[in-house]
Amino acid sequence: MKRCKVLKALLVFLLIMLPAAALAELAGPVVSTNDLEKNLTAPNVVVLDVRKLEDYKAGHIPGAVNVPYGSWAIKKGELLNELPPIDDLAETVGNAGIDKDSLVVIVGKTDKVPDQFDMTRVAWTLKYLGVPNVAILSGGQNQWVKESKPVSQDMVRAKAKAFKPSLNAGLIVNKAYVMEKLGKATLVDTRAPAFYEGKEKLAFVPKPGRIKGAVNLPVGALFTPEGLYKDKAALAGLAEKAAGNDLSREVILYCDTGKTCTSWALILADMLGYKDVKIYDGSTMEWLADPAAPSEP
Amino acid sequence: MYLGYVVDKELLKNDPHFKMGCALCHKGDAKAYKKEDAHKGVVKKPSDNLRTCMMCHKQITERYAKSLHYTTVGQRTGVMPRFSPEELKTFDEKVFEKSCRSCHASCGDCHVKGAPVGGISIGLIAKHKFVKKDEGKTCAFCHGGRVYPEYVGEYGGAPDVHYQKGMLCMDCHKKDEFHGDGNAYKSKSEVKQRPACKNCHKPGSEAKLTAQVAHREHENKVSCYGCHSGAAYRNCNDCHGGHSAASPGMILGRSPRDKKMLTTLRLIPTVRDTFAPAGIKMENFDALPNYWDTPAHNIRKRTDRTRNCDVCHVDRKNFLKQETLIKNGSKANESLIFVPKPINR
Repeated sequence: MKRCKVLKALLVFLLIMLPAAALAELAGPVVSTNDLEKNLTAPNVVVLDVRKLEDYKAGHIPGAVNVPYGSWAIKKGELLNELPPIDDLAETVGNAGIDKDSLVVIVGKTDKVPDQFDMTRVAWTLKYLGVPNVAILSGGQNQWVKESKPVSQDMVRAKAKAFKPSLNAGLIVNKAYVMEKLGKATLVDTRAPAFYEGKEKLAFVPKPGRIKGAVNLPVGALFTPEGLYKDKAALAGLAEKAAGNDLSREVILYCDTGKTCTSWALILADMLGYKDVKIYDGSTMEWLADPAAPSEP
Repeated sequence: MYLGYVVDKELLKNDPHFKMGCALCHKGDAKAYKKEDAHKGVVKKPSDNLRTCMMCHKQITERYAKSLHYTTVGQRTGVMPRFSPEELKTFDEKVFEKSCRSCHASCGDCHVKGAPVGGISIGLIAKHKFVKKDEGKTCAFCHGGRVYPEYVGEYGGAPDVHYQKGMLCMDCHKKDEFHGDGNAYKSKSEVKQRPACKNCHKPGSEAKLTAQVAHREHENKVSCYGCHSGAAYRNCNDCHGGHSAASPGMILGRSPRDKKMLTTLRLIPTVRDTFAPAGIKMENFDALPNYWDTPAHNIRKRTDRTRNCDVCHVDRKNFLKQETLIKNGSKANESLIFVPKPINR
């Protein structure tokens, strides 16, 4: 009888501690392939593969569910990477088996530079919808395959959950908000220096330049030569140099479309402890098309 | 070096296609020692001659020879009412055989090596493996102008909800559509075994009362695409332009095949002088419209039209109107204009 009680207590202890252990190892915003592998079957862990369905079917992390990136960000008018309607997003989240208690690890591809940021844009969107425990896999699917970790071709059908979003509306802001915060918040341009300096621009951006008063913290600086995220100390140094060390000051990040800037937003908010981090969704595509919006040089 | 051309050694051991040597299909001289001698008479695309595949796959190849993917006769059927009998003869000789027919797919185009489209090919699909299906490479390459980008969301809107739920082309389009069912159809509209939304989504089984009512009210009046096409799609003139201007978008109007049905229309590229270089004036050009009903592959559960009745019934958003018809288009275009009735509230 006594032995039975001990076993029961042990079982309860394990049930409590297992999710806690997974939470610690998969604490965002960036998790390693080894940590993910150890926790693949841990309770509440959802591995969310945002690659194209064809890529997913060819091979994915065992147990991963697939919701392609296009379901998370759409073109609205002329603007790229905008939020789909919230009711659609909520259904997408629930159908992927995600709720507020989930530990979501997002996996994408990293073949080309912009691909890297599909993961972070989806992570930021989930945080916006009210899913707090979100991380991305450092190096994405490419790193997983490079390390010869197991892959599966089984199509995973998630058990749908009823997901009701509780929006963190402050995480994504619009042009009017940025206009009002000029000179008050720290504006961070996360594009490469040549774009920040107005020497280059992408074809879909109306003109070269940046938002007046913005500082530069390029996304290229996030990664090691191997394409993995740098360690916390290195990233903290870069962030402090550009955005300062006042963790309570409001920081608004932007890029060209509102996608790549989510990488630094995630690092600032969830790794380095900056308390008030936002992204400007319209970014330069919208800002530089408006003659009334102050820009430089 | 393009590694796609390297035939995998493992394949040679395991795939029965290679058991009797490359020359069985590719001809040439397998016993020759010099490349020049070995390559004499080599056939680069053996399946261009269906007899090659017929040696082993008789039944399926015979069916395929009659299929629309092989005959491409749907293209002829689609345009022929515009021609006089004499013009049709010229079309068959100068255009259909030399141009349209060059687009036909042979067995190898889907199972071994992607077909050349506009002179570009994806090369071997998987190191000369005979693949059963790989929709993202094969279907997507020939149908990559409009259908595929719409479906996967690369044309702006969210991906088709079926793609989001893990479905690819062959989850709806069954084998018979590709290989044929043994009948020589003139057009895909004659094929009975085509996908239909109602095969899976039975009317009356909707969870919400509003959806039930909306479906009942619009049944046999509006196609599923009419409400559930989620975003702008590509019109043929976006790429095959040069003759008239068209903007990408969504066009709603009467179906030319069933004038009682409101549906999504797509602007096709045949304009008055399309066949002028072949000496064809198209005497009956106005017999057919420039807009045709199209099954837009960008289905969403919710769209602006399902969210708000006024988008159609008041704003007439995306509806074909007199002022939006293409210039110098067919006189038949006007018959496709549909004016929705206001709702009695």
